[in-house]
Amino acid sequence: MLEAIDLSKMYGNHEALIDLNLTVRTGEVYCLLGQNGAGKTTTINLFLGLINPSRGKALINGKEVNINSDTNQMIAYIPEVVQLYGNMDGIENLNFFSRLSGHTYSKKELVELLEKAGLKKEDHTKKLSSYSKGMRQKVGIAIALSKNAQAIFMDEPTSGLDPKATDEFTTICKELVAEDKCIFMATHDIFNAVNVGSRIGIMNEGKLVHTADTSSINANELQELYLKTI
Amino acid sequence: MYALMFGQFLRTRTCQIGLVLILILGVISILIGKQFLIDQEKITSDVVENHAGHLKRNLEFHSDDIGLLLYYLEFVLVNPSSPIAALSIGQRDINPSVQSVNIRTLEGQRHDTDLVNPVSLLHGNLDLSFIILFVFPLLIIAFTYNLRSEEVESGTWRLVGVMSKSKFKFLLMKLAVRIALVLIALVVLIVLAALTLNISWNAAFVAFFVTGFLYQLFWFGICFWVVSLRQNSAVNALALLVIWLTLVILLPSALNNHIANKYPVPEALTTIIKQRDGYHQKWDTSKRETMEKFYTKYPQFESFGFPPEEGFNWLWYYAIQHMGDEESLDDSQMMRAKIEQREFKSRNWAKVVPTMHTQVVFNDVAGTSLTNHMDFLRQIQDFHEQIRLFFYPKIFHDENAKQINWEQFEPSYVQQEEEIDWIGNLLPLTIGLFLFLLLAVINRKAM
Amino acid sequence: MRIGIVLLIAKHFWTSVFKTRTIYLLMAIVGILLIYSVYSGTRYYDQNHFRSDHQEMARKSWEGNPDKHPHRMAHFGTFAFRTKHPLSQFDFGIESFTGNAVFLEAHKQNTVNFSEAGFSTGLLRFGELSMAMILQTILPLIIFFVGYSAIVSDREHGTLKLLLSQGASWKEILFGRSIGLAWIAILFSLPFLLITLWLLINDHHSSGDVWTRFFMISMTYLLFALILSLVTIFVSTGSKSSKNALVKLLGLWMLMTVLLPRSSQALGSYFYSTPTKLEFRSKIEAEVIQHGDSHNPNDPHYQALRDSVLAVHQVDDVTELPFNYGGFVMSVGEEISARIYNKHHNELLEQYRNQNKLNRWLAIVNPYLAVKNLSMALCGTDFESYVDFQLQAEIYRYELAQKMNELQIKHISPNRVSGSEGKTHVVSREEWKAFPDFEHQYLSIGRSLKNESISSISLMLWTFLAIGLIVRQSKIAKAI
Repeated sequence: MLEAIDLSKMYGNHEALIDLNLTVRTGEVYCLLGQNGAGKTTTINLFLGLINPSRGKALINGKEVNINSDTNQMIAYIPEVVQLYGNMDGIENLNFFSRLSGHTYSKKELVELLEKAGLKKEDHTKKLSSYSKGMRQKVGIAIALSKNAQAIFMDEPTSGLDPKATDEFTTICKELVAEDKCIFMATHDIFNAVNVGSRIGIMNEGKLVHTADTSSINANELQELYLKTI
Repeated sequence: MYALMFGQFLRTRTCQIGLVLILILGVISILIGKQFLIDQEKITSDVVENHAGHLKRNLEFHSDDIGLLLYYLEFVLVNPSSPIAALSIGQRDINPSVQSVNIRTLEGQRHDTDLVNPVSLLHGNLDLSFIILFVFPLLIIAFTYNLRSEEVESGTWRLVGVMSKSKFKFLLMKLAVRIALVLIALVVLIVLAALTLNISWNAAFVAFFVTGFLYQLFWFGICFWVVSLRQNSAVNALALLVIWLTLVILLPSALNNHIANKYPVPEALTTIIKQRDGYHQKWDTSKRETMEKFYTKYPQFESFGFPPEEGFNWLWYYAIQHMGDEESLDDSQMMRAKIEQREFKSRNWAKVVPTMHTQVVFNDVAGTSLTNHMDFLRQIQDFHEQIRLFFYPKIFHDENAKQINWEQFEPSYVQQEEEIDWIGNLLPLTIGLFLFLLLAVINRKAM
Repeated sequence: MRIGIVLLIAKHFWTSVFKTRTIYLLMAIVGILLIYSVYSGTRYYDQNHFRSDHQEMARKSWEGNPDKHPHRMAHFGTFAFRTKHPLSQFDFGIESFTGNAVFLEAHKQNTVNFSEAGFSTGLLRFGELSMAMILQTILPLIIFFVGYSAIVSDREHGTLKLLLSQGASWKEILFGRSIGLAWIAILFSLPFLLITLWLLINDHHSSGDVWTRFFMISMTYLLFALILSLVTIFVSTGSKSSKNALVKLLGLWMLMTVLLPRSSQALGSYFYSTPTKLEFRSKIEAEVIQHGDSHNPNDPHYQALRDSVLAVHQVDDVTELPFNYGGFVMSVGEEISARIYNKHHNELLEQYRNQNKLNRWLAIVNPYLAVKNLSMALCGTDFESYVDFQLQAEIYRYELAQKMNELQIKHISPNRVSGSEGKTHVVSREEWKAFPDFEHQYLSIGRSLKNESISSISLMLWTFLAIGLIVRQSKIAKAI
């Protein structure tokens, strides 16, 4: 589903990403771990086609991604801080973004999507500016759901979430994977990565230095590996 | 500390571009003012030089008939431009500063305009007063709108709070740096103007200078008050621009509309029709009747009696010319009253609108206000009457023109010495300045 | 580009703007300004009745003259009062700076006197509040204010990434926001145009090309709103932060509306000097003198003329001619002096046009000037409309003088060689009534537009340029 071949990005003289090679299949949750500046967000930006690679390529369903490609039709994205339009309510935001992706939903369907993402019904018509971070993220998830994309990119999805919200998030991720979607997330959160991910990659200074299967590693081992790497 | 602050501010692009731009515009405005002065002097000197020839030529042709001679002869009154007029052109571009009048009906002559391009009038003069009134405040806004917010937005504000004894004092110091630079720019321009235009440092010029100075401080007051409200840079910029727009464009133009609509001057149109009719219709009416009216006004000439009803006669001719002025007198006075009313109203409003007030002071000290022109019009009237009364008996006696000392009719210059009302000039701006400073100081704790 | 998506983004922008409180505040402010400018505009226009009343008063006085020598009537003369165009309610243009009344008599071209500016205090120089002025100077600020953060704040908040990942293209986003902003701009402009239309419908002077003019004015301002919206989005997309975008746009506004027009007009006047009134008059006089003094039948230059006339009619003295020779000479003189005056006056006007040229050409780079010039021309309040009034007044003056000469030639005894006073040698008062009154005709729209071709082209160019800028921006814009 997702594939990176020698994917590299230079900013001036700074190498933000060096020769990344990886593949993510449907039904997988791929977690990219690493420090700030390790190249995680650059990787996501490249897959989103927001920037062009300096070398190599990113493929989605075999199609090459660049600024002018329409590969964004196949994916969804949930930013680290889901900053939606503060002066509109949840339903309105979801309606706007889903229509942007070419999907028109009835009011009932929009409500269902938000509920599926875990947002309580009484919150649907409140202004986004009054939402907590977790609630915003749920709207973000609903937007991703509304697009019915096969691949979902998430940037630091659990940072700043309280334990309950993190737990709800994990549940939703698992449901999504069960529906044969793939999730690609960049995160600092080792425990959550082990919990939700199927495979894990560790990045340092623009390079992918380790990959591991969650079936073969537990959280403590991963933490050791991570600390050793960086 | 101040040295550091100067250094830091001088290195910013806003400061560099702003200062260079204002100095360039200032120099252009001074050059334009100089050109205006040269043009004005040329208009005057042309008329003055031409006048001697005009006198000589007419004396040559018509000295045997003094009535005919005075029909043609023109007398010149000049309202000289002070060099300060180059800095604040005011109404001088539209109202002529030289008038040539003959002894016939005055109303038909004294409102003749100069040749001016109305499009240039519409766009307005780029004189130093424009730079001071319009552009300097913009510079001040550009220099101060993010005085505090730039620190907040770049994250240095907390550090300032920890490191300096008083954040308010810190802002005051930053402000002082900007005030110093703006005032230096103003001083440079004014000194440059004084040198270029040979302006002597008399009371009028000092008043111009001090008012300009105070006006800039007033804007710093407004800016500092807005800064003290602790909004972000965008809000400050916008708020200050709206204040600028209101004070410099919206309020004055709305008031202008109000005054122009409240005091329309249709009497001007009535005056010119009545002066024409007052004179022309007398060609067809009884000469005796006309002369009676004339003698009521000027009983000293009664001894000249009544000319025969048939035929042409200079005594009667100048009497009917004068009837033009007599019969349009009411409307002419009404028109004058209306215009004075307009001036009075706008001066009253100016007391509470600092931009208008500063303009009023500038035009007053430069002798380019409407009041100045109205005075000139009145003096033309006196001048006209004085000359008429001098020549009437000579014409009526049919004296020999050669016996008159013509040298006394060289062009005359109006003297308009105006007392400078220091308190009235400076008080409104001072009050405004302190008002905003007070408001800013009230907010000082919260900063 | 999918139209549906563009409209969706436009509508979303529109609704989110209307969820803020500021927009209602702005609407209230513009509403107040609108009401005041409509009030002032109609009040100014009402002053037309002063002009027409005085035109009537002057006419009555003209017609009231008894039988007289026609040359007395040539000097009695009459007046031309300039009437305001119905559209001057919308745009005052140079109205306040042009003279309103001119005395028309034989041999002499008087100045057009009594401009509003002559009666005005320094206040006038701050500007006048008209509907057009608000649309030209205040509306850009409102558009800039509503739209400055349209793109850049989405980038600052990261929503831009989300928009793009949802499948919207840059082009769709930029055009969507531009259209959304333009809708708002048009919403602000429409009341001005509708009120103007209403004023025109209720004005019985509106006829002929007034409707075409109104249509073109509407197009001009709507295009202006569109251009400004596109430029705002362009600047917003290209700026690093909201604050930067705002400061850039405010600087642009300053330059466009305050600094450039005044500076360039000042430079124009600086480079093209015009003669002083005395120079102007004495040049004309000198040239006329070369052709002799027509008022004086014994003028040496006119002796040749007299001799040839006498020869043709085979008589020895002008009193033996079958017509009044004095009238004949004056008609020849009038023709000569009018021709010379017109030549010099045209030179003067040409020099004024040169002074205005810089601003005219700058309209190419400054759409504000293009709109200002075009609007004035369409409202009949521009320089050329004024020149046209002067021309009409001069033509009328010339016809009046020649008509009086003609009456003198025909009806005054050849024996009356000079002088015009007295009750003998007169023409019937019926003749005065027979000569039609002066009637000011507005310049036709075709001629108005011809003068403003640069501004019209500029608006077209700017529309394409602004669209081009957005298209280009959509290719190079960055989401992060």
